[in-house]
Amino acid sequence: MLIPLSYNVRSLFVRKTTTIATALGIGLVVFVLSSSLMLGQGIRNTLVSNGSTNRAIVIRKGSDTEMASGIDSNVVSLIMAAPGVKRGNEGQALGTSDVVVVASLDKEGTDGMISNVLIRGVQPAALLVRPEVRIVEGRPAQPGTDEVIVGQGIRGRFKGTELGASFDLKKNRPVKVVGVFESGGSSLESEVWADIDTVRNSFGRGSSSSSATVVLDSPGAYDGFAAYIENDKQLGLEPMRENVYYDKQSEGTSVFITALGAIIAFFFSVGAMIGAMITMYGAVAQRSKEVGTLRALGFSRGAVLLSFLFESVVLATIGGLLGGIASMGMTAVKFSTMNFATWQEISFSFDPSPAIILGSIVAGGVMGVLGGFFPAVAASRLSPIEAMRG
Amino acid sequence: MNMGVVAVRNLGRNKLRTLLTIAGVSVAIVTFILLRTVLSAWTVAADHAAKDRVGTRHKVSFIIPLPKRYLEEIKQIPGVKGAAGANWFGAKDPKHETEFFGSFAVDPEEYLEVYDEIIVPPEQREAWFQNRTGAVVGDALAKKMGWKVGDRVTLVGTIYPGDWEFQISGIYTAVRKSVDRSSFMFHYDYLNDSQAVANANSKDLVGWIVSRIDDPSRAAEISRTIDARFDERDQQTLSMSERAMNTSFIGMISAILKAVDVVSLVILFIMVLILGNTVAMGVRERTHEYGVLRAIGFLPKHLAAFVVGEAMTVSVAGGVLGVMISYPFVQEGLGRFLEENMGAFCPFFRIDPATIVWALLLAMLLGAVAAALPAYNASRLKVIDALRRTG
Repeated sequence: MLIPLSYNVRSLFVRKTTTIATALGIGLVVFVLSSSLMLGQGIRNTLVSNGSTNRAIVIRKGSDTEMASGIDSNVVSLIMAAPGVKRGNEGQALGTSDVVVVASLDKEGTDGMISNVLIRGVQPAALLVRPEVRIVEGRPAQPGTDEVIVGQGIRGRFKGTELGASFDLKKNRPVKVVGVFESGGSSLESEVWADIDTVRNSFGRGSSSSSATVVLDSPGAYDGFAAYIENDKQLGLEPMRENVYYDKQSEGTSVFITALGAIIAFFFSVGAMIGAMITMYGAVAQRSKEVGTLRALGFSRGAVLLSFLFESVVLATIGGLLGGIASMGMTAVKFSTMNFATWQEISFSFDPSPAIILGSIVAGGVMGVLGGFFPAVAASRLSPIEAMRG
Repeated sequence: MNMGVVAVRNLGRNKLRTLLTIAGVSVAIVTFILLRTVLSAWTVAADHAAKDRVGTRHKVSFIIPLPKRYLEEIKQIPGVKGAAGANWFGAKDPKHETEFFGSFAVDPEEYLEVYDEIIVPPEQREAWFQNRTGAVVGDALAKKMGWKVGDRVTLVGTIYPGDWEFQISGIYTAVRKSVDRSSFMFHYDYLNDSQAVANANSKDLVGWIVSRIDDPSRAAEISRTIDARFDERDQQTLSMSERAMNTSFIGMISAILKAVDVVSLVILFIMVLILGNTVAMGVRERTHEYGVLRAIGFLPKHLAAFVVGEAMTVSVAGGVLGVMISYPFVQEGLGRFLEENMGAFCPFFRIDPATIVWALLLAMLLGAVAAALPAYNASRLKVIDALRRTG
């Protein structure tokens, strides 16, 4: 027969201070664990959600990122003529090429701190190729002018990036912000989009592009497209599915954050487990008379062990719930950091998922099991007579 | 028998709990030291940056190079002792595709003069100056790649495509902590005269310029002088001291640093919870005894002293243990691993002695904090109530 669970729950209430201290400790651990997982997830979502399996990006072989890449305009036309590229009504290829550069802008609200912002010089087709990019305020930029649109992730974070404001791309070459765009939370939202020729002129890029992006007939058409591009060794190009490309870009940063979070969570858990253990040993010692009585009443050793283990798990789960709920609050926080692959500052959010929140709370419960096991064994080993004697 | 001894002896009464608490405190201290070391590893570049160097780059973007003649002009500016240009090359070793290392094209003599903390043995230095395809590499990189002086290596350029042949002329070490010991440096002329550079229209350009100045206190003034000189040209510049440059780099990852900072304080809070819980339990169990002590003439402050003394003994023991664990772990294990494998990101991952002092001071202080409430409760006990309680 098992000991009624209400016995344990009431015991926790009797020892309020100790219960609160221990649960709070575990709660903090769960909070930190859950937050770092949410941030890692946020980084992956931000960087990978740029990528569509239905699009391919082409950069110069060996250049790793768009920034280091350079492709001549006649080569861009060859890419657009490749098989597998989707065509519009008039037979024109659905694709575009961008020039990508990084500029240092003054951070708003700081004293002369500068940070790197990715500037993408685009052609009118850029919005057709990436339909997920939508103007949410203002209007699209006029092609061939010094008008730009900014992603909502960096809007107002740098001087001159507010709607209607302007900043210098080059001395005496101001560009004016006429629109704000969103793209489903992807890292494009941390970019400034300007006219391709404006960027080429300001940054001395001649007539070359950094990358070419094409829409494919279907995700399955990629292999044919890639084979065609790779086949011409003279071109020295490297095609990639867009999602694969962005996955690679996010690797360093997200692995770094997740690894750091995991190491921290490990040490924290050990600390919290020790805390739970101390509390449960205390509970067993304090209630040895009660345990003796329970045993005398006929409850088995196993029942006593389970009972204390249950108490520990309840204690830890209360903490876990507190931490899990508190970590949901982090979704309101924007976190901006540098992407190691592009040196560009990107703003991320903490993305919760049921798996992360539940998983973290369960991790709290597991700390309860591990921390409560030895004390529960100690309780079950008490001899009834000795224990009742005190 | 003095009061301190009584406090310490009390710890022996529940050995298991005392040991667990010490373990808990030491885990917290190890975590604290580790996180502080992560923080200092990132900021070490700024703290140890030379104060007498000024870096100059393109005003708009670090990816736009400057005309090479700017270098000669900067050398003429009063207060500048010497200057060197450098170009980011960006190379991969096809045999170690995933290993990242920094590679620069520099004028060997000028560069070693400006960066005098980079030490190359004299004969290797001479050999490098003479060999146009020669390169010097950091000792950490040489070890990782298995390169020896005299080896021929072929790298693949990421910015300038193609295979590039080099011969390792020397291996450098560094006398300053902020120097990345995993860089690869070779002759500017070798790069500048190549077809790849001509194709990219980047002949006679330098990525950035570093100058050595004679008076560190004038760094800001000289930076302004340099920028003013090029202000009316096609390419404007942005100059700042090496220290300011590193600080602005750190600014970009400041959110991560702040998070680590906060987390390192959270672990201390968890430690206070664990410790406070233990102390409170001890006080509760000994209520009867405290009543007896009060009855035989001990004052409330004595009881409080017992409680605080006990807590501080545990926390200091945990702190010392934590330091003893983390020191060899970081210095011999983790730190060495990171420096050899991720030198480009953290060239110096070692515990700052100040961190150790802080950890011990905080352990002591937090022991007292954790004991404050239980000690206050113990000191307020009424003799009669306490004696009546037997729990």
